[in-house]
Amino acid sequence: MPSLLRKVKSKLSIHAHRRVSALLEGEYSSLLHGRSVEFDDLRHYVPGDELTDIDWKATARMGTPMTRRYVATRKHTIMFVADTGRDMAAISAAGETKADIAVLAAGVLGYLATRHGDLVGLIAGDSGHTGFRRAASTDGHLEGVLQFIHAATTLDSRPSDLTTQLSYLARRFRRRMIVVVVSDDRRLGDTETALLQRLAVQHEILWITICDADPTSGELASATVFEVADGARLPAFLRSSHGLAHEYAERVAADARAIGDLFDRLGITTTRIEREADVVPAVLRLLVEHRRARR
Amino acid sequence: MGLILPWLLAALLIIAALAVLAVVLTRRRRADVRTGTPLAHTDRLTTLPGYHRALLRYRALLAALVVAGLVLFSSAAVLAARPSATIATYPQTANRDIVLCLDVSGSMIDYDVAITRAFGALAEEFDGERVSLVVFNASAVTYFPLTSDYAYIRSQLERIATQFESPDGAYFDGTFFGEGSSLIGDGLAACTLRFDTPDQARSRSIILATDNLEVGRSIFTLPDAGALAADHDIRVYGINPGDTTSRDYLAQYAEEFRQVTTRTGGDYYALDDAGAIPAIVDRIGSQQATVMRGAPQLVAADTPVLPAVLALLSLASIIGIAGRLRR
Repeated sequence: MPSLLRKVKSKLSIHAHRRVSALLEGEYSSLLHGRSVEFDDLRHYVPGDELTDIDWKATARMGTPMTRRYVATRKHTIMFVADTGRDMAAISAAGETKADIAVLAAGVLGYLATRHGDLVGLIAGDSGHTGFRRAASTDGHLEGVLQFIHAATTLDSRPSDLTTQLSYLARRFRRRMIVVVVSDDRRLGDTETALLQRLAVQHEILWITICDADPTSGELASATVFEVADGARLPAFLRSSHGLAHEYAERVAADARAIGDLFDRLGITTTRIEREADVVPAVLRLLVEHRRARR
Repeated sequence: MGLILPWLLAALLIIAALAVLAVVLTRRRRADVRTGTPLAHTDRLTTLPGYHRALLRYRALLAALVVAGLVLFSSAAVLAARPSATIATYPQTANRDIVLCLDVSGSMIDYDVAITRAFGALAEEFDGERVSLVVFNASAVTYFPLTSDYAYIRSQLERIATQFESPDGAYFDGTFFGEGSSLIGDGLAACTLRFDTPDQARSRSIILATDNLEVGRSIFTLPDAGALAADHDIRVYGINPGDTTSRDYLAQYAEEFRQVTTRTGGDYYALDDAGAIPAIVDRIGSQQATVMRGAPQLVAADTPVLPAVLALLSLASIIGIAGRLRR
């Protein structure tokens, strides 16, 4: 089985020369570790570091911006909540399998976490079964987490039902965690909204949305397309019907607005990912937004 | 309307029904197999009113496709079974031999001109008939024998008409070998011998124009000649310009002439005016045609037009609909 973590690392190294990697480091650090008061050491400033953390005296001394680092008070727990139902085995807007993008996104965040010594756990499943990986902080454990998501998501999986995983989370955990939900463009029902409302109080929630493919797009015009939920065919004649693309786009935009409003209300930071190439910038965006939102 | 190969139609319909059944069954079995590009949350699309409208249109087109397919197949099957119609044909209508037998004595010239002219016009419509012209006075001369060369017939009739009208016409050459003039019995008997194919089943008739002013002794009396014609199955149509009230002294001959013609199955026309002749010739021509209408023969002929047109139209609409569906 090819290592999923290696893929994540190679993805990050692609972005290294653009300093996105370093930005990610900074964002992640300030997200979780910027709040400690016990001074640890100084290091060179990297973009994304809190401006208030810059040690101006040291900067003047060294002639280059220096940032204070603080000792983390404790290890954080990143708990991934991943949908591995058959919805995630469908394709994304760019034609890649949504589960692959989900693995990559979880991998990037999980890799940052293990590098900082934080713990990474997983709650994943579909409507029938919820799997749990305890929180741990090794590369091998992270690989196991990613492999679980990867292997569990197939077209033969049971239908997606995030409610099961969210209520599992609500039932089983008393301590505060960073919860990262990896899901798709699903609409949230009343049950899920209520659960999230309750969970948002206890945890910090980040929501990664993997965008669904647009069935009216020209790239799918000549393809045989079916709905994963019931296997129903969607004839090209219907998808390419005049004016339907516009109507669909409006519907998707309306849904996105609605869920955006909900997330804003609940204080959940969210990002949307369309393709594998967008994963690293999207995760960065997520961290930046989360930092800003907390303030 | 009937079918020449009705069993083929039945066989094709049964095969088609089996094929449709097989397709339906395999489709039902295959319906659960998911192949192609998987998409999630397409209910966003399928619950749109625009999608619903497109679906209705799609179903209508599919239904039209099925109907067109059914029409195409059934018309093709009907075509294969060879639709035919039974047509009654009446053969032998143009299977006639006509001998124009003209008395060319001086008193008949005006009538002869009218008869030849009228017959020349009638010949325009002939198709398969053969015509001969015999002139007689004391003896009979074949002006032209039985022929279906209508151009020749017309030219000869025109020629003799011109000869009748010119003062030194040569029309009477060879008609004076005999004792007397207007030897009608001999003339008719000579005409009955002009039919050259006695073995063939053809209708034979003689149009005999004479004023019946017989002078001298003939070999055949008129009744004898009539009996000879009847023996050979020849109808004699008589045209007698001499049978008028102004010539009552001839009434006995006229009556004899009438009896001879009717006995052969022909007809008899008495007249005074040469202008009536074309109408009489026409009537003889058409009467002959009705008489000769043989027993109808039934012929089964293919009539593929309707199913072929239907098949073409349905094929065209299938191509059109398929094109729209593929769009």
